[in-house]
Amino acid sequence: MNRFHFKNTFILLLLPGIIFLIIFFLSPLIFVLMESFKGAEGGISFIRYREVLSDPQFRFVFIRTLKMALIVTPIAVLVGYPSAYFITKLSSAKKSILMSLVILPLMTSPVARTYAWIVILGKYGIINQSLTSLGILREPARLMYTEGAIIVGLLQLFLPIMILTLVSAMENVQDEVEEAALSLGSGKAGCFFRVIVPLSFDGLILGVTLVFTGSITAYVTPAILGGAKVLTLSTLMRQEALVLMNWEGATVIAVIMILTTLVLYNGLRLFKPRTLV
Amino acid sequence: MKRSKLLLFITAVMFVFLLGPFLVIIISSFSSNAVMRFPPEGFSLQWYRKVLNIEMFRTTFWMSLKTGLAATLTALVLGVPVAYTNVRYRYPGKNILELFFSSPAIVPGLVIGFSLLRFFIYVARIPVLTGLYLGHTAILFPYTVRVVSASLRNFDRGIEEAAVSLGSSPLHAFFAVVLPNIQSGLVAAFILAFITSFNNVPVSLFLTGPGVATLPIQMLVYMEYYFDPTISALSSILIVLTVIIIQSTEKLLGISKYM
Repeated sequence: MNRFHFKNTFILLLLPGIIFLIIFFLSPLIFVLMESFKGAEGGISFIRYREVLSDPQFRFVFIRTLKMALIVTPIAVLVGYPSAYFITKLSSAKKSILMSLVILPLMTSPVARTYAWIVILGKYGIINQSLTSLGILREPARLMYTEGAIIVGLLQLFLPIMILTLVSAMENVQDEVEEAALSLGSGKAGCFFRVIVPLSFDGLILGVTLVFTGSITAYVTPAILGGAKVLTLSTLMRQEALVLMNWEGATVIAVIMILTTLVLYNGLRLFKPRTLV
Repeated sequence: MKRSKLLLFITAVMFVFLLGPFLVIIISSFSSNAVMRFPPEGFSLQWYRKVLNIEMFRTTFWMSLKTGLAATLTALVLGVPVAYTNVRYRYPGKNILELFFSSPAIVPGLVIGFSLLRFFIYVARIPVLTGLYLGHTAILFPYTVRVVSASLRNFDRGIEEAAVSLGSSPLHAFFAVVLPNIQSGLVAAFILAFITSFNNVPVSLFLTGPGVATLPIQMLVYMEYYFDPTISALSSILIVLTVIIIQSTEKLLGISKYM
């Protein structure tokens, strides 16, 4: 293909990356996968899976984690689509300012970002202080360590990703296409839903995939805003491993987390976004 | 025009939701209260003084910095050749290999850290710090490949071919012609990867031990025990640093086009 390179040079170029990932990324994962099938006296067994899957706490946490991702993702789409559309239509100077405002949270430490919600939702936080001083609440309500707090935190964490993917998808929709739809008598809303949305569908699927899998595997947000009271898959896994020293349980949860993400990634890939991965 | 007002309204609400918390942190960091309270009852700089005086924050800051630099450089060294083949070569199985190269960005970070801990630290007895460095390198690798590939795609290949046809060896042409031309892409990859490493929690979570912890992990540990605005002050410092980095790189490199 390349007329001035040796034909197989590309193998040499790929080799360091491949070797690194096999040794330091793939082998540890395979090791953990094998461990999860180890029986009490060696051999292959499903006993660890049976233990974890029959544990009511695990089931509850697993369903809660999925439920929260199922709440966060559609809200991110509903807020992200109009905002991304609005940003796309701006002049390039204004657009680049707003884009850097979207990127700023993405680049900021998630610990710092999530910490803000303690100040807002905490016992003496903004919401409680204003509601009690207005006399609406007699004493502070518990807003922290709830599923709602985690949902709000996840939303703030992942909205920028949704907006970025949607903006870059909508940028590819040419203005002429939109103008054509409008001049042919389509209303603005009709144009949005029948021209913009279908043409940016790949971006939507990519955004949904990233936000959904991100919500399921997020650690910092549930750790700070849910604590030990409202566990999710990732905080449960940490608790099993580092607090309860139940390494077998943590191993099984790790495998379940990988499987869940892989299933979601590949499931959503069926919608055939070209840009995914 | 009513509809575009609705769009403006939604976008404005979205930005308040996205950026409001930053303002809240910065205001609360100047609080005189010993317990997190909003609005603060007085003004003080004591929490900033406290951040600078807590030794664990200083040592973990340096550890995050060193880990981030080492992992970013390694990921670039591994990633640039891969990005080059991505753009310049076609070969059988390329799609599968590209998927493999991006998989560290897909597998949950928590699981990557956990598996490194189980395999290398418990079985192969590698020091925790090495595990931390390797885990960070693995997750940064897909970023460097993506950003450098994007930058290579914009580089006119004819220039490289001209160098070779004028007698330069392909290797020399790469270093003398290609690399200087994708400089801004390399810097963008470096900055994005470094920030990703510096902010990372999931991979680092299991790769901590006696004397080994990154700054975000240390912040989480502190928050479990103390409820004073120290973390507000530290977070404000991190936010200001991020703003400076983004502002300067956006102007110089247009980093948003690589995201």
